[in-house]
Amino acid sequence: MSEDGSSSEETNTPTTSVSQDTSTAENTAITTSAFNIHPETPSSSSSFNTHLAIQSLSSILTTVSPSLLSQDQDPAFYLLHNPDISSQVSSLLRLPDSGAGDNNLCRWFYDTFQSSEPQLQLVVLRFLPIIAGLYLSRVALKKPLAGFEAVLLAIYAHETTSRAGQAVTVNVPDLSYPSIYHESKRPAKDNDAADLNLAVISPSLEPHGTVRSTRRARIVGVALELYYSKISLMPVGSKIDFCEFCKVWSGQEGHELQDDEDNVEFQDNQGNAEKESVIKEGRIALPWELLQPISRILGHCLLGPTRDEELIGSASAACRSLYSRSLHDINPHAILATRSLLRLSKMALDPKNNADHTEIPMSDVISL
Amino acid sequence: MLGSQSSDSIEYEDQTPSREVWANGVCMKTSEVEAKLDEGNIQEAESSLREGLSLNFEVMNNFGIYGCIPENGLLQKANLYLLSTSMKEARALLGRLEYQRGNVEAALHVFDGIDLPAAIQRLQPSFSEKQPSRKGRSRGDSQHAVSQHAASLVLEAIYLKAKSLQKLGRLNDAAHECKRVLDAVEKIFHQGIPDVQVDNRLQDTVCQAVELLPELWKQAGCYHEAMSAYRRALLSQWNLGDDNCSRIQKAFAVFLMHSGVEAGPPSLAAQVDGSYVPKHNLEEAILLLMILVRKFYLGKIVWDPSILEHLTFALSLCGQTSVLAKELEEIMPGVFHRVDRWNTLALCYSTVGQNKAALNLLRKSLHKHEQPDDLTALLLAAKICSEDSHLAAEGVGYAQRAISNAQGRNEHLKGVAIRMLGLCSGKQATISPSDFERSRLQSEALKSLDAAMSLEKNNPDLLFELGMLYAEQRNLNTALRYAKRFIDATGGSLLKGWRLLALILSAQHRFSEAEVVIDAALDETAKWEQGPLLRLKAKLKTSQSLPMGAIETYRYLLALVQAQRKSFGPLRSVSQVGGDGVNEYEVWHGLADLYSRLSHWKDMEVCVMLQGRGQAEEAMSAYITALLVDPSFVPCKILIGALLSKRDSNALPVARSILSDALKIEPTSRMAWYYLGIIHRVDGRIADAADCFQAASMLEEFDPIENFSSIL
Repeated sequence: MSEDGSSSEETNTPTTSVSQDTSTAENTAITTSAFNIHPETPSSSSSFNTHLAIQSLSSILTTVSPSLLSQDQDPAFYLLHNPDISSQVSSLLRLPDSGAGDNNLCRWFYDTFQSSEPQLQLVVLRFLPIIAGLYLSRVALKKPLAGFEAVLLAIYAHETTSRAGQAVTVNVPDLSYPSIYHESKRPAKDNDAADLNLAVISPSLEPHGTVRSTRRARIVGVALELYYSKISLMPVGSKIDFCEFCKVWSGQEGHELQDDEDNVEFQDNQGNAEKESVIKEGRIALPWELLQPISRILGHCLLGPTRDEELIGSASAACRSLYSRSLHDINPHAILATRSLLRLSKMALDPKNNADHTEIPMSDVISL
Repeated sequence: MLGSQSSDSIEYEDQTPSREVWANGVCMKTSEVEAKLDEGNIQEAESSLREGLSLNFEVMNNFGIYGCIPENGLLQKANLYLLSTSMKEARALLGRLEYQRGNVEAALHVFDGIDLPAAIQRLQPSFSEKQPSRKGRSRGDSQHAVSQHAASLVLEAIYLKAKSLQKLGRLNDAAHECKRVLDAVEKIFHQGIPDVQVDNRLQDTVCQAVELLPELWKQAGCYHEAMSAYRRALLSQWNLGDDNCSRIQKAFAVFLMHSGVEAGPPSLAAQVDGSYVPKHNLEEAILLLMILVRKFYLGKIVWDPSILEHLTFALSLCGQTSVLAKELEEIMPGVFHRVDRWNTLALCYSTVGQNKAALNLLRKSLHKHEQPDDLTALLLAAKICSEDSHLAAEGVGYAQRAISNAQGRNEHLKGVAIRMLGLCSGKQATISPSDFERSRLQSEALKSLDAAMSLEKNNPDLLFELGMLYAEQRNLNTALRYAKRFIDATGGSLLKGWRLLALILSAQHRFSEAEVVIDAALDETAKWEQGPLLRLKAKLKTSQSLPMGAIETYRYLLALVQAQRKSFGPLRSVSQVGGDGVNEYEVWHGLADLYSRLSHWKDMEVCVMLQGRGQAEEAMSAYITALLVDPSFVPCKILIGALLSKRDSNALPVARSILSDALKIEPTSRMAWYYLGIIHRVDGRIADAADCFQAASMLEEFDPIENFSSIL
């Protein structure tokens, strides 16, 4: 299909993937005739893209059940949620040289993301925690990373295009003016937002054709922002992957909140000080452009509507590590964000904060 | 049925061990009914309940006894109404009984036997048809009473059905049932639920349904429905209680913050003219949380610490911790401990760079009568002090206290505390009045940083700090090693690493290598952040006697600075504008310096208007003004000293003392030694002059092209 070719024009295709682009285009032409599918109809084109993606993935993975293509259910959904596929892909991703420019799996991710098929892009985003996690942790180890970079740049370019490079801003409300949720004596003012507090959540985006090392955190941060915006569609496994990498990135053991006096049993044992003197691989610099999307994702895992116990456990461990790290960095901004998350997750687990107010009063006397 | 109202008061008061059912002023033990239910015989249970409670037409006439219904004509109507509902009443009671016994499946079965949609249907016309046409007010009111009770019964039945479905895990069905309660209420009460004369039980059911609906959608995974259910709950008139409403507001705020689903703007109908309409999840969540905090001030709700934590999280996400500080300051004393408040405020202020304010708060909270051992506060105070040479001595104290308190489970912070001690000592050394003191502090700083290094092996910041310290002591080879290790450890992601490396190389007079480093750094930097690197590059070109290259670089830098000034709207983050920015005047100054070397005096005059020949007076006054602004600004002192040294001999002692002063602050200032030498020579102290010149020339050998501290 034509998307494959055209998408590489607007996004800055890294050199490693250019050749791959053309090869899939050929591939497409062949299979189109074989399946006799009309590319004009959007529905068939999307399912065609999906089947193509599954086909090329099955050539990479060792054991993909051939029954995949005959699945009745939505194949993209299957790709996203199938635990076998996820575990195979993630173990391939975790191989030492997986980030190289000629890595098949990275190419698959790149091409699949460039297919501009929202469902398939979700599949790529599902593995973003592992890709970003490995990528940032391996930078200092001087391993080949062009493959990871191509995927991350594709995601960054996608986000740059869809935001038109604009910054994401928020007006912090001022309660002295009335709002839809409250009244105020002061007259409503006209739409002059001048004296509202304008906060930049994500600064404007410049196009990047390569990963410059000083922009690395920003590029990954923007990819994580996209991940966050789709997080309600992500399987739990992907979020747990993310939490695991947060712990690696922080380079810290999780420590309980200092103001937590009653939890003496949580005190870390004495051996801890020795453990810390060992250099931990994977610790990375955590500027706010990374920490902000990380905090939002962890907030979702801890306090979001899906209450999965394993995820909550994993996310609170990640949060403890990041809080500990913020203390080591004496970074007040990070301390505030991670500490409030930790306190909130604790309160959420406290049964006395979970009274069900929608339950009717259970009295022994029932009256009509 | 009206008997139920009279029994309301005692309903919950006596806690009898076995269950009872009250209706029509009759009380009945439920054991018999329950037994029948356990046998699975709903029909019989129902009839025994009806018998026991006399839920039939004959008994309805007895209502006259209670005297609750004022007009006879209406009594007839009410009776008819009750006749049709008497079966439903029994069913509803049975359902509730089963529900309370925990047999939700059986309860559901009973509720299914009631034709609820029809019951709702019947309720509607009784309002919409009759209310407008009635003239007599009292009639309308009693009609209210009848229908409200009937409505309350039906709605409670539907509500319990929804709850039963929820408990059975059929969340979608539950949500639809629950939605029916609200739809029905909206149809029955067109003008919203009236504040007065509303049946308590009906109001309770409505409130619970309003609260339950979004919860059900949320559990069912229908997030968009949940969003609109929350908005419907908060934007329509349900006559919710304060607690009820606050719980919904808080739950909605949490959902907006953490669901990961964008809510989109509220419907146009909800947007009152001129009032603030949030456009983003975060905006809406912050608005709701702020309203909740205000409700607490007004005494409408009890304090809920999680509200403040949610607000803290939301506002720190947008970097608006100064707004958070304002909220914290408004909270009345006694809600939470003042030390906690001070410490959190300090974190807020420090986040937005108001370190002075933060330090003042920390001084209060670390006072010996408050919490002098709080480790986080000690560390933050030490860090703030380590950035200001005049506070460094105070910081040493905090760091030492932090070290002695980093015990037990806080042991892991010991390395951090030691590192802060090192940084504070190093900073303190820079303003130390005596040579002896200075070298003592410097070696202490090195010792601390080395010790911290063994505890915090994986912290690359330490590599940088050690590199800086060695560089400032002109131990250039060691410094170089640390700078390289820092770049490796951070993957070159931090500009300051590249700049340190280039400066160290320039101090070693390895200019071309330094230029290679700068070029590499330029490759790794986006256009807007290249300013400081370009400035370095221009200076490196100058040092290599490549004036044309330098001018070219300066031109490029000027164009960049001007483009930056034009294109940076308010939407740039702080990191993009502040910190690393290049001052345009610095560029002009650099150009001036370059032209002066080339003896292009005319050009230089254009660049630096004041410091031309014959304008020494104006230059002098400008320098003195600058010195008043920042009394420890060394370059100005040197320039004043230089100007004074060229005047008559009366000014020489003043010049000498100013230069000595400059050397105290910055002993490695080559120019200060040089001018001091000149003054000694003019005064005829040849030996002193020679010493000074020697110091200046030795320093020149190790002088970086820019001061190391310019990196920070």
